[in-house]
Amino acid sequence: MKEIAFMNPSPVYLEFSQASLQALKDNDGLALPLERGANGRLTAGGKEKLISGLQKFLDRKGWQPRARAFCAIGANGVSLRRLTLPASTKEEFQRLLRLQIENEFPLPPDELAWGWHRLGPNGAANKQEVLVAAVRKEVVEEYANVLRACGLTPVFTLAALVRSSLCPQPIDSGAMLDTGDSHAELAMFDNGLPTAVRILSLSAESSVADATVKALGANWSGRHIFLTGANDEIAAQLATRMGIGILCEPLKIESGVGRSAAILGLKKSVEQNGGSPPLVLEVKAKQTGGSFNLSQPHVKKWAVAAAALLCALLVLPFAEALLLKPFLAKKLTRLKAEKGRLATIDRELGFLQSLKQSQPPYLDALYVFAKSAPQGARIEQLTMNRRGEISLRGSMRDATQVTDFRTKLIGSGFLANVAVEEQAPTPDRQKVNVRMSAQWKPVEARAGLAIGPTAEEIEKSKTNKLAQAGGAMLPGGMPPSMMPPIMMPGQMTPPQPARK
Amino acid sequence: MRTLTQREKRTIRLAGVGIAIYLAAFGGFKVWKFLQKKRVDYQQLVTEAQDLKLEVKRYDDKIAVVKKLMESFHLDPAKLTKATVVAEASAAIQKAATSSGLQLGPVRESPARPSSKELASIQFEATGQVQATMGLLNRLETCGYPLIIDSAQITAEPTRPGQIKLSLTIVILDFDQQKTEGVPHA
Repeated sequence: MKEIAFMNPSPVYLEFSQASLQALKDNDGLALPLERGANGRLTAGGKEKLISGLQKFLDRKGWQPRARAFCAIGANGVSLRRLTLPASTKEEFQRLLRLQIENEFPLPPDELAWGWHRLGPNGAANKQEVLVAAVRKEVVEEYANVLRACGLTPVFTLAALVRSSLCPQPIDSGAMLDTGDSHAELAMFDNGLPTAVRILSLSAESSVADATVKALGANWSGRHIFLTGANDEIAAQLATRMGIGILCEPLKIESGVGRSAAILGLKKSVEQNGGSPPLVLEVKAKQTGGSFNLSQPHVKKWAVAAAALLCALLVLPFAEALLLKPFLAKKLTRLKAEKGRLATIDRELGFLQSLKQSQPPYLDALYVFAKSAPQGARIEQLTMNRRGEISLRGSMRDATQVTDFRTKLIGSGFLANVAVEEQAPTPDRQKVNVRMSAQWKPVEARAGLAIGPTAEEIEKSKTNKLAQAGGAMLPGGMPPSMMPPIMMPGQMTPPQPARK
Repeated sequence: MRTLTQREKRTIRLAGVGIAIYLAAFGGFKVWKFLQKKRVDYQQLVTEAQDLKLEVKRYDDKIAVVKKLMESFHLDPAKLTKATVVAEASAAIQKAATSSGLQLGPVRESPARPSSKELASIQFEATGQVQATMGLLNRLETCGYPLIIDSAQITAEPTRPGQIKLSLTIVILDFDQQKTEGVPHA
């Protein structure tokens, strides 16, 4: 998958030497000392310091992809061979190369970090020549683990080879010498191809020039020696020792932290070679391409996490059932036991609703009668029952009042079947005795009626009450002033209807 | 005991692996079946619990109505006992009449027919002002017992001007039977 360009971090260029690590990222440089044990390996504490220092230097954000780290390693322990292989297909070539390495090198290919560079046909049409560089796998793996822990993807190559890219022109037949404080590295070239690399130990007794002359030998036929890390004086000494015809040329390189000849050469080589150095040392993990090695700590960690997640995914639904079922069952049993209360609620609701709707509207009926009664009417007896049957006995002034009274009762909407059962004048012809019957309407028909005093009537009655201090007050606040002009049995006043 | 040849060792090893795979598959299937059954049971319980929750939720409205009615009637049906409710209701009616300002006349209690869903009926007469009479009619509903005024008769008291005579027949509902009855027409 192509990563988005702006997300790609810049590559890092590093050089692992015996005593130090140098790094260059963009224009920032870093130099860290390497703490090695007696066996030459990095110590645990040294690795931690190295990782910490590098992480700080890289300042990598968590969301950024891993940056490529091009690493140049020293020639210590490195073997360089030129191998001739028969022409073959790509797959066959790899197999043949491994066989040749197994044959030429003291260790099997699986124990080596090795790389190759095709040199071209060696004259015969069915042969091809490759340059193979190899070093113990542990050496490269140690560096690789440190770099991976810093979030980098390492690519290893030989420092002695990449330094040659700093030369103004390709070395045809010569050598490349890089001098340091305690040792120097010498790479020899023949016909433009590297033939050997040597580590030269420097001491007070043995100068750079002496060691180089000794390493090159008397039969060396090169004509040009490029020097890095050396001053003009050393170049002059070497030229003197090598004799006439050998040109010793010190290379001027940019100075600064993280700007060693190997790093600058590596950078130039990578840029010229399309993003990769010409010879890459690969360990087995790299050789297998997309596969991964479970023995690597970070791979192991992710593998364990993935396995744990998978297990959780499979187990959780069952675990939920196993763990929560007893609690849920207990709770459900308790709820079911309490479900009986729902039936009680139903029964109580039914009973209370029945009671409410069974309440006869006696007060409403009394209010309607009181409100409809004409002036001077007198009610002797009023009988009502819960079936709604009403009978009334009383007297009124004349027949017109009886008719009005009945009309008003019907007009109230509360009563049906209002009948004047008997209407007879009194013997003195001053009044009319009446006997009436009625039936209040069913509850559904009465539902929309507004029976009872209005707010204005209540307010007015309150005013009258104050005016007639000590005047009779009806239950529920119905004042006597609201009493219609009727004489109820015992001067009955209009009732206050029950209002729920 | 003779040493096993490489071939025999390989055969034994393969047999061991085969048996192990069989046991793992068989045991795994059994365990999976067991767990699956547990899970199905659990899902069933969850569904049951959700149904019950919905059912209980539907009762929220009913509970509110019951509460409101109980408050308006001052009545808790659960606290009523059939053995004492007639005596308590009779006392409460007489107390309500007296506190309303009525003078009590004769009071008669008679057991109701069991088929009529009533416990008893109480007849009593009282004399007093109109206001007191209306007050009693109003209070009877909220005295805390399932009472219904069966009939009311209001008559003029010729011997006492300004006073009326009230004759009431009150029935005490049998709440145990009435609870399941439908709403009667009133």
